Amino acid sequence: MKGRGISPYVRRLDWMILAPVLLLVAFGLLAIFSATHNAELIVKFQKQIFWAALGILSLLLVLLAPPRFFHYSAYLLYGAALLLLSLVLVFGHTVSGNAGWFGIGGFGVQPSEFAKIATILALARYLSDRTTSLRSLPDIGKAIGIVALPWLLIFMQPDFGTGLVYWVFFISMLFWSGAEMLLLIVMLSPVLVAVLAIIDLWYFILATLVVAGLYYIVRRNLGFALIFFAFNLSIGFGVQYAYEHLPAYQKARIAVFIDPSQAPLSAGWNVIQSKVAVGSGGLFGKGYLQGTQTQLRFVPEQWTDFIFCVPAEEFGFIGAVIILLLYGLLFIRGLVIAKNLELRFASLVVAGLVAMLAFHVVVSIGMSLGTIPVIGIPLPFMSYGGSFFITSMVAIGIILHAWMYRTGME
Amino acid sequence: MMENLEFAGRRRAYILGGLIVFSLALLVIRLVDLQFLQYESFRSTAEKNSIRQQPKSPLRGNMYDRDGALIVENNPSYTLTITPFEFQWHTLPLLVRLFDVDTNLVRYRVTRAGINSFDPVKILPNLSFAQVSLLEENRTLLPGVGFLIESTRRYNLDARMAHLLGYTKEISPTLLRTLGEYYQPGDIVGFNGIEAYYEPILRGRKGYGYHTVNAMGRVVESFEHGRSDIPAREGADLFLSIDQQLQRYGEQIMRNRRGAIVAMDPRNGEVLAFVSAPDYDLNDLSGKISPEVWNGLIGNPAKPMYNRCSMAAYPPGSTFKMLVAVAALQEGIIDPDTKIHCPGSYPLAGKDFRCHGAHGNVGVVAALEYSCNVFFYKLIFKLGFANLQKYGALFHFGRPTGMDISNESAGIVPSEEYYNRRYGTRWNIGYLVNLGIGQGEVNTTPLQMAAYTAAIANGGTYYTPHAVRKVRDRFRNQTTDIPVKSEKLPISREAMSVIQRGMLRVVHGGGTGYAARVSGVRVAGKTGTAQNPPNPDHAWFVGYAPFEEPTIAVAVIVENGGFGGSTAAPIAAAMIRQYLYPQRREASSVRDSTEVAPAVEIPVVHPSHPVAD
Repeated sequence: MKGRGISPYVRRLDWMILAPVLLLVAFGLLAIFSATHNAELIVKFQKQIFWAALGILSLLLVLLAPPRFFHYSAYLLYGAALLLLSLVLVFGHTVSGNAGWFGIGGFGVQPSEFAKIATILALARYLSDRTTSLRSLPDIGKAIGIVALPWLLIFMQPDFGTGLVYWVFFISMLFWSGAEMLLLIVMLSPVLVAVLAIIDLWYFILATLVVAGLYYIVRRNLGFALIFFAFNLSIGFGVQYAYEHLPAYQKARIAVFIDPSQAPLSAGWNVIQSKVAVGSGGLFGKGYLQGTQTQLRFVPEQWTDFIFCVPAEEFGFIGAVIILLLYGLLFIRGLVIAKNLELRFASLVVAGLVAMLAFHVVVSIGMSLGTIPVIGIPLPFMSYGGSFFITSMVAIGIILHAWMYRTGME
Repeated sequence: MMENLEFAGRRRAYILGGLIVFSLALLVIRLVDLQFLQYESFRSTAEKNSIRQQPKSPLRGNMYDRDGALIVENNPSYTLTITPFEFQWHTLPLLVRLFDVDTNLVRYRVTRAGINSFDPVKILPNLSFAQVSLLEENRTLLPGVGFLIESTRRYNLDARMAHLLGYTKEISPTLLRTLGEYYQPGDIVGFNGIEAYYEPILRGRKGYGYHTVNAMGRVVESFEHGRSDIPAREGADLFLSIDQQLQRYGEQIMRNRRGAIVAMDPRNGEVLAFVSAPDYDLNDLSGKISPEVWNGLIGNPAKPMYNRCSMAAYPPGSTFKMLVAVAALQEGIIDPDTKIHCPGSYPLAGKDFRCHGAHGNVGVVAALEYSCNVFFYKLIFKLGFANLQKYGALFHFGRPTGMDISNESAGIVPSEEYYNRRYGTRWNIGYLVNLGIGQGEVNTTPLQMAAYTAAIANGGTYYTPHAVRKVRDRFRNQTTDIPVKSEKLPISREAMSVIQRGMLRVVHGGGTGYAARVSGVRVAGKTGTAQNPPNPDHAWFVGYAPFEEPTIAVAVIVENGGFGGSTAAPIAAAMIRQYLYPQRREASSVRDSTEVAPAVEIPVVHPSHPVAD
């Protein structure tokens, strides 16, 4: 990079990305403060200040990486992530009583969050390789393998929500690299099957048959249709098995989503109170720190996955739409960047990161509004917590980094 | 992927972007639905939702002594509070006129609370009843102003009983975490002693008032006219077994000493006196504790807060010999007539274990009477570690007695494993031999010693010591006896009576406990001296009376008191005399053993016998 000091960096920063992110972080801190300032919870806000600082620092550190750093280190980072995920399976449980977490000096760290980025990098590296062909089944199998390995390790924790994110960016990246639509439908079917498996045994078997049949009709390849059928069937039964072994609270959340009237006071409480918070916010909201639902703590653990209902209650429709616009701006700009990057690797990485973040946003806000099942997914840049916050900031850092070196090496 | 024409194609970018925009748009539509179309219904739900719960603290239970005298009660105190969120500044002059509050203090506390504005802040403590009614009359004019009832302990004590009763204090953050859900910051809980042990009974149950709060968080009215309120339930009253006269007498005897006295009724395990010296005044810890008082108590090298009755464990010295003897008798290792030769010392493992003299051939009764060490050296050698553990455990040595007091240590009865763990291979059988005379690493609390003496006195039933006899539920107005826990020990009547005879001889024969005699009654006992190198020995005495039908068992330890026979025995005698022939005595003149002694008849029986054990 030409020039000295930091000014060339600043000049090359894409503010259409950075500005919405910083505004969202500020919104998030305001919301967490509002939800926790009463009584002893304030320590959560103080911790989040620390995470915010660390997140911004991580973003800046990413910018300092040399050009094509992520391209070269993609597999290395991926290997490290797999190692961490395996370690957390073995040791995580004993560390904090909650599998998937490492305890470091009072702060919990979730390797499954960082592994998202490593997997996106590895997948982008593989898909952008000249020798990789999306018409070759072994190559598609390898691509699936890259995602399936960390996904399986996470599924064993078990963390259903985080596991789902992997499929979403995987499909998006395949789509981005130009895969055939039929292939994508085939890829999406396990997700469909997984969701149906939770609802009803016969629904999912029917869906499995339909998708396999469709494949056979288009491709006339009975062998693959059967393999595909068997694969989906095993996914469905696997999900059913995992569902039976889910912690009671997660099971209750899923059951209640299917039929919320089941438990309006216990498991359905979160969703109902969150909707009341949002709905009673009206056009202008009740005013900062004046939201009765928030201040009287009607939404349990509001500062984590339900953080969106705080600004929706206190800043009303206006505040909520501003936040949605900021996210929208960020994602559209991200896609524009992905579209204009010359390097296939960088383009794929940015597309994957945008897909990952967008999925988080839509699901987390959808949860708060009672339109999507509560699967425990945090809201990027706003929810309380360290691992995902830093992951999101690093993701932004990588997007900015890719744009900085868009014209290749200088 | 050369064949791939659609990589990052325009169409695909539109599809992906369109999907994202579409999803976000759906969310906006949902927002419109919730925040416009259903706004009215959600707004009213949110308003109805805002029912706030306000805890009401119950009054803590009282305590009564053995004679039914009220010794611990409550002192309710009213504190003026302001809920900042509801407070209106234009009412400040009225507040000043009515209560003469400090305007700067109100400004400071109310504005500083700022963001915690739903929680009341304390403004003026110790309101009078007149002030409370004044506040009630002007409630509507003073939004956000209220009062809080806090209660502190009031003591009507003749004695001090500090270690037995314990005290109450605002809950600490650590306790808040361990005690769990019931408590909130600012709650009063029992610390130590009976206050802590009976905390769940004494505290009662919190009540809750429900108020509807409008969207601004202001209390509108009591919810459903108070029909859903849960009234607070007052705590239960406790009736103690403590004999306040005896307790006070014991405290006076121990005034300038360090040590402990525990007296029990051997017929049922009731604790009659529980004296730990030095002690402190419970009134100093009631309500607001001044830092000077607290630091004075904590910093005092004599540790007045330390409960020596049940927390301090000392080597029992020769008072342990009854245990060794009764175990040997019950196990058939000796019979009452078995004689063991004492030449004045016992060589073992290259050491000479010494006795107080050459006792010749002694049986078990004489061995107790003269506290012959060689007899017990040889006996414990035959008895072994396993039996010592077994019989020790029967008398609750090495484990807590289970008394109804929150803090009790278990003491130690060392086993072979214990020594292996501690010393590896660097210990020998001499360690066991030392245990035979209650020295070395065996440790017992005065409470354990009193319960053990009581079990010997009643012929072999171990009663769990307890200080509370009855509980009165104020709500149901019902008084219930607390069941007495007892255990018949698997020891023969004969073995017990041999021990009893030995202990009688200690006091009324030629033994070391003649200073424990009380005129008009036969006392049985045993002296003990616990080595405490390099400092002076601790003096022990355990005993009971009357010998025929025991009604009191007592254990006394005087730290650094020297010989048990000369320091602890006269104190035990004084306690027995006070209990059996009660009169309002002042023991303040009893400064040390030489002054106690004249009050007790001391016929000098064996002037030539070395007074040691």
